[in-house]
Amino acid sequence: MTSDPATPWWQRLAPLLGLFILFVVLSLSSPYFLTRDNLLNVLRQSTINAILALGQLVVIITAGIDLSIGSVVGLTIVVLTLLMRHGTPPLAAALITLGVGALIGLGNGLLLTRLRLPHPFISTLGTLNVARGAALLLAGGVPISGLPPGFRDVVAGSALGIPMPVVIAALAYAVTHVFLGRTVYGRDLYAIGGNREAARLCGIPVDRRLNLAYALSGGAAGLAAIVLAARMNSGFPLAGTGAELDAIAAVIIGGASFFGGVGTVGGTLIGALIIGFLRNGLNLLDVSAFWQMIVIGVVIVVAVWIDVLRQRVGRSA
Amino acid sequence: MTPAPPLLEVRSLGKRFGAQAALTDVSLAITKGEIHAVAGENGAGKSTLMAILSGALAADEGTLAWEGRPVVLQDVKAAQSLGISIVHQEPQLVPSLSVAENIGLGRLPHRAGPVRLVDRGAMQASAREALAILGVSVPAEAAVGAIGIAQRQLVAIARALRFGARLIILDEPTSSLSLDEVEALFTSLRALKARGTALVYISHRLDELRAIADRVTVLRDGRVVTTAPMAEMTNEALIAAMSGRELVSDLQTGPPPPGTEPLLRVRGLSQGRRLRPVSLELRAGEVLGLAGLMGSGRSRLLRTIFGADARDGGSVEVRAAEAWREVHDVADAIESGLGLVPEDRRALGLVLTATVGDNVGLRTPRNARRWGFLSGRVLRAVAEKAISALRIKASGVDAPVRTLSGGNQQKVVLGRWLRDTRVLLLDEPTRGVDVSAKAEIHRHLRALAASGIALVVASSEIPELLALSDRIAVMRDGAVVGELTRDQATPAEILRLATGTETAAS
Repeated sequence: MTSDPATPWWQRLAPLLGLFILFVVLSLSSPYFLTRDNLLNVLRQSTINAILALGQLVVIITAGIDLSIGSVVGLTIVVLTLLMRHGTPPLAAALITLGVGALIGLGNGLLLTRLRLPHPFISTLGTLNVARGAALLLAGGVPISGLPPGFRDVVAGSALGIPMPVVIAALAYAVTHVFLGRTVYGRDLYAIGGNREAARLCGIPVDRRLNLAYALSGGAAGLAAIVLAARMNSGFPLAGTGAELDAIAAVIIGGASFFGGVGTVGGTLIGALIIGFLRNGLNLLDVSAFWQMIVIGVVIVVAVWIDVLRQRVGRSA
Repeated sequence: MTPAPPLLEVRSLGKRFGAQAALTDVSLAITKGEIHAVAGENGAGKSTLMAILSGALAADEGTLAWEGRPVVLQDVKAAQSLGISIVHQEPQLVPSLSVAENIGLGRLPHRAGPVRLVDRGAMQASAREALAILGVSVPAEAAVGAIGIAQRQLVAIARALRFGARLIILDEPTSSLSLDEVEALFTSLRALKARGTALVYISHRLDELRAIADRVTVLRDGRVVTTAPMAEMTNEALIAAMSGRELVSDLQTGPPPPGTEPLLRVRGLSQGRRLRPVSLELRAGEVLGLAGLMGSGRSRLLRTIFGADARDGGSVEVRAAEAWREVHDVADAIESGLGLVPEDRRALGLVLTATVGDNVGLRTPRNARRWGFLSGRVLRAVAEKAISALRIKASGVDAPVRTLSGGNQQKVVLGRWLRDTRVLLLDEPTRGVDVSAKAEIHRHLRALAASGIALVVASSEIPELLALSDRIAVMRDGAVVGELTRDQATPAEILRLATGTETAAS
């Protein structure tokens, strides 16, 4: 149940093909693009979005959405850096940060499953504002610095020549891939997104699974905050502002359906990489940031349009 | 029938989708004031033909003539302005708008001037006029969302009339109507016929075709098998024409030996006014039919037994290994061996984005999960077994379930419950399924009963209940008002109980 089975292979590969074409075009247009340093740099810069997209994917598979993750990054990065500045050991602080992220996500889930708010767009929009406000209050409106040096060295360092953030993201992707594809929970999430009522009548505990999905999305935001804090060596309460939109874009470009039930970890990775390489390439080609926004906007629309075409083909088949 | 040129004449129509021929050399003529049935199994080409006649699809070959003049229908609008309208199975109306607004939608009468204020008076008047032709008393001011499905159907027909339709295509109009609603619809259709409006009527239900149609055209594999006056076609001949073979008088495999061990005990189950205290008992190998008009509480009872709908009082118990187990929610129900095949397979039964295998495995077989992980191997084996046991026509476990025909989709839902199930509840198990798949599903259900599973089958089709059941419980207004043994059960008796009248026509 990991992808839309009716899709012909050439369409399923559309995101990968897009990434490949992008890769070739950029290699030809900039001599600097295809260097080890630059490629690692793109990967490093893509990790935050890639991790957030992973949480977003889990939620979008259930036919939901999580608008709060950018703000949750802001709140958890403040929690993490405050804890460490007050002497909490980095490992403990990091675990607490993951927990706080997951708890906020669980809150989003409960708003949906307990209060029965009509759509997660609304509940997570509320949380978006609440979390950002809380982050600014906790931090007193200013960045928190003075972190223990070991934290930065480990989390923003590298292992065997590979940047640590990339290793962390890769692990997260591997675990989520197994979670979605091989566990009861993952299968249930696809089923809920595909047809909530059918899932319920097959004995799937829909509310519990939805709570789990939103908790995972919040946890992913906490993980992104840990990586971001190490990279910036500080906790900025406005960190992650607007990040939810890039994450949603990565998931959708990666072929997941907004209507739920369809989406893969691999596709989402490709989606995040397309956004990363696009930004990097446009920078290398000296295209202004304003034009970058326009290009990314167009890519999102084209990717979803391809999805629409795909569904039309599927339906008439 | 008048000998003048027919209202609509279809000559040698052909339509291909890729390599597949959907229609080949289809010719038929529809005359003024005629009710013309189009019958055929799913995939026979009915939908394609109707799409072409309503202008939604262009034909590859062939011509159309309207009152003797050749016409080309570029799109739905062209067909509508000519006088051809289609009313779909699920009437396409806006629930939040009123009946009158829906009837006038797209052509609301408005006052002169740039602002185009809607002329509410004229709108109401023309809506009432259209409704009066049909002889229905739906308040024109009511929101469409607040009226019943049967009335929506009539609103959609009134809308077609308002557009000046002289030929109305009705696509399975009765599939969600109860018996008395069907009768009311037929009264309206006869009124239309008397006015000279021609109707093309598509349905699976042979008895309905017989009751309403003047002539019938049978399609099979995209070709016209026969067109004949309805009175000259026996049901056997119709079925043979539709399926291409002699069929199914072996439905009743004889009464099964009813087991002695009770498996399901329902006591005083109630839910407000929708379910008055209902008590039932069911033995192994027994099939209990559940009859009743639409809204009598059949689906509600099944869903409440299964724990899918909340109850106010009463108890449900299933016997598992010598001990009675109470059922409170869906998880209990499944754990103790209850299964539910719900009413609407697309809305409630299937995950359409997934494969056949995933859909069968959605109710996870007990041995397929360990420590939260799923065994792909076990799931595959279970799905393959269901495919072969129920003869599901699919290219395999990985076939997308949405590419299957209605009958095979229904078998997928059924296949979910082949394991670990002691009592199976089925709600309209053959709705929207073609004649031969229906017979096949009936055989599978009898076989399940013979293997010792107890079945409760709710259906709005009395022949289906008579063919399947050992006993029939009849519901009215949320209560079981009578129970009939196989010998007592006749269509007339069931209807009498269901309607609560002494005089009921069968």
